[in-house]
Amino acid sequence: MYDSHIAFRGTLQQLLEKVERGDMVPKLQASHAPPCKFWTAFQVINGIRHMAPVIHGPKGCTYSVSSEYKMNNCEYHGVPLEPTSCTAQNEADVVYGGEAKLLEAVKEAEQRYHPELIVIFSCCCSGIIGDDVETIAHKAEQEVNAKVLAIRSEGFGGDFRSGYENAFSVIMELMEPPTKKMEKTINVIGARQGPTYTEWTEDLDEIERMVYAIGAKINGILCGGCTVEEIRRARAVELNASWCYDWGQKLGDLMEERFGIPYARTGLPYGLKATEEWIMGVAGPLGLKERAIEMVAKETGNLAGEIDTLRRFFDGKTALVEITEFPGPIRALALARMVQEFGAHPIVVNIHPYTVKERMPSIKFLLGQGQNPEVILTKGLFSLGTFRSSWETEAELEMIAALYDNAIYLGSPLRQPGVPQVNLTTMTGYPHFGYRGIRNLARLVQSSMEHAHRPRSRLFREVLYGN
Amino acid sequence: MIDLTGTSEFTTTLAQRCHDPYLRCAFYGAAQTALGVTGCCVLAHSPQGCYMLVDAAFDWQGADYTETLILSTKLCEDEIVHGGEELLARTILEAQELEVPIMFVLSACGPEIIGDDIVAVCEDMRSQVNFKIVPIKCAGFRGDQNDGIDIALDAILKELVVDGGKKVSHSVCLIAPHANSNPTWMGDLLWVKEILNRMGAQVLATLTHDTALSEFREVSSAESCIVLSHDAGQKAGDYLTQQFGIEQLCKGMPLPVGFTNTHRWLKELGQRLDAQDVAEKIASDGEKMVVEQCRRKGLEQFFMHREPVAIVADGTVGIPLLHFITEDLEMIPRLLCLRSCLQGAKEILERELEELNLSPKVIYSADVYQSKLALSEVKPEAVFGSNIERHATEELGIPFVFRLVNPISRFRSINRQYFGYMGMLNIIECIHNDWLDRYRSRKRSYKARW
Repeated sequence: MYDSHIAFRGTLQQLLEKVERGDMVPKLQASHAPPCKFWTAFQVINGIRHMAPVIHGPKGCTYSVSSEYKMNNCEYHGVPLEPTSCTAQNEADVVYGGEAKLLEAVKEAEQRYHPELIVIFSCCCSGIIGDDVETIAHKAEQEVNAKVLAIRSEGFGGDFRSGYENAFSVIMELMEPPTKKMEKTINVIGARQGPTYTEWTEDLDEIERMVYAIGAKINGILCGGCTVEEIRRARAVELNASWCYDWGQKLGDLMEERFGIPYARTGLPYGLKATEEWIMGVAGPLGLKERAIEMVAKETGNLAGEIDTLRRFFDGKTALVEITEFPGPIRALALARMVQEFGAHPIVVNIHPYTVKERMPSIKFLLGQGQNPEVILTKGLFSLGTFRSSWETEAELEMIAALYDNAIYLGSPLRQPGVPQVNLTTMTGYPHFGYRGIRNLARLVQSSMEHAHRPRSRLFREVLYGN
Repeated sequence: MIDLTGTSEFTTTLAQRCHDPYLRCAFYGAAQTALGVTGCCVLAHSPQGCYMLVDAAFDWQGADYTETLILSTKLCEDEIVHGGEELLARTILEAQELEVPIMFVLSACGPEIIGDDIVAVCEDMRSQVNFKIVPIKCAGFRGDQNDGIDIALDAILKELVVDGGKKVSHSVCLIAPHANSNPTWMGDLLWVKEILNRMGAQVLATLTHDTALSEFREVSSAESCIVLSHDAGQKAGDYLTQQFGIEQLCKGMPLPVGFTNTHRWLKELGQRLDAQDVAEKIASDGEKMVVEQCRRKGLEQFFMHREPVAIVADGTVGIPLLHFITEDLEMIPRLLCLRSCLQGAKEILERELEELNLSPKVIYSADVYQSKLALSEVKPEAVFGSNIERHATEELGIPFVFRLVNPISRFRSINRQYFGYMGMLNIIECIHNDWLDRYRSRKRSYKARW
């Protein structure tokens, strides 16, 4: 029974090896799609203020990214709705090419929006017909006041990770040689969705708080609501540190390689050890170690009650960290490390092989740091169709949880495997990062202990898994 | 005098180059249409980003993920270089395990440019699967989402509707209910169905929303059809008329928003369906209900009397709204920015303006920039629009924005119609709530003592 539901069981290292051999990536991934390269490239660049995108493609790609990343999120972050424009490619443009139209569109974007930066994105249409967006960007720059960049971001041209990486790589063209170093100042890199949204701004707030608490300063959050000026002077900092290791890595590596700016390579600051590592990773190179040690001791001392709660909850338990719906693979691995720190045995459930493939560099880094948790992939993960995959996974999780007499579950309330469960999606449960994160996670854990016996409601069950 | 400035209102030599669109592409419109068929599977032959559009279309149709499925071939560079037909064929075969009655295969920009022949692939696969397959060539570059609705309706009608022979008396086919920017347009559709039911008419098919596959077999038996949009669906109406002799009702009339338009619309239906008395009864009861409700609950519109206002919407909501806010709410429309520009809709609007003796500035196929520019020039005191206009009005210092059309940042669990009498109250309610929100103080002068 158990075996018929399990697609993989082993360590993260073993899963990685299987993925590298091509054993685990299904040939057809017909459902559960992440966004394409165009979407993710836009997501990064959208985080720069007063940037006018000129999307060289049809209206559908344009309205969709605007709707997803801009229109809604603008509501909650006190920022204006800035334009998302395109060349609205039609059949004639596809047949005859659209370079001339693109050039005019860039000029018009400058005239209409007065941006500091114009970024041209290619889409599937312009990519296939071979419109040269980079040359047009170069030409346009001679005719407009704004800086003009281009990203080859056609949706078929790479996985979703490549969109982030290309975008971060392209913004390096804006970075100017520094005349003077900005002492004890860092860039926080790897953020996205800027003026509109950076995933869990509360996490970012905690990072900022910790950086300033050790006496360091931040030049900019690249590209989480940063200005073009902050990007221009990004080379003047002493250090880069990542907001999210996964997305910051590429830019950190490139800036180190090209400009000699050191990069603090640390994982996500979940739990005491990882938070301390993150802080020391910044403090050390900036010569702020003593102040950081003092700060870590003080913050840790203030959390005695919360740390006790976390130890009581996790100690001796089997913690199932399930990532299909939330919190995503890199956070899940950070959580796995945290629960281990507090005495639990972590099992990461359903880290999808295509995720492993696309996040290979980050996962290798985490393995190199000594993180190699047990991983289980269930058959439901590979099922065709979102609904089927979802209810199969729920049934499989219930089955796995029942195998242990001490299981606890960390994930989303979309699941309820019948064991104490920490709901990581609770909106008021953020930040998860840093010391405030420990306080919040302790609160979530406390609630989990107190309410473990409560049943799943019929409303939730039938909405999620059918009648 | 009517001032119809048309599409070239803000056209400069560059104006056709750079668009900040209100609409998605044809691929999305086609997906919306296909996903209105209950229990279907929509397979996007596309890279994975286009899947996100299908997902958005799924939400727009309010589809149920326990019964309706969406898949994607997730085309990558390999398929773009070597062709994706083989991958499409394999995906169709794999979908057999889902046990769906019908699959719609939608092609996106990439596969159409490289020449993937989805029609031929679907033809080849038909004998190997136990479900119907309908290919729809709807690449994004073929037009906007309204064009996509027309493209999909054309493909679906030609593939699934055959001449059934005998007409069913007093039967109706409803077209394009989803081409409507009311975020809960299903409420409008439900109101129309209820009205038809009261008039003794039978709705044989809805093209499309919660449409059972069996409904397509009934389409040709319908005596009449009604196009429920001023933005899409007219081509399907024309096709049904030409091919099956299905008469289009309420053609050339504004949709039923406000007293006058609703009454006219009901009257026309009553005449065509031999239900004049029922139509008059619905109208008189409805009007009475609206008046009494407003008398009892209050009508804040007294505070907006003769205010200059703008409408920024699609044709389906925007055109009929004109009559309602001018005649019933006594406001003065100074600007109309419409997201589309179908010829038939233009003609309806012209007649409405003439009848109401209005001469607002009109922009067809407006984009976000053109609307904002027009708002800054016209300076209305209130705007009927979406969340996009909320941002614009804040920046331009326009006092009020009433969010009626998609996208709005208001969650609605209940489908609220704008059509008919309850629809009037729903619109009035939106106005009241946005009016109240506008005046909520964000400051506190002092703290409470308890």
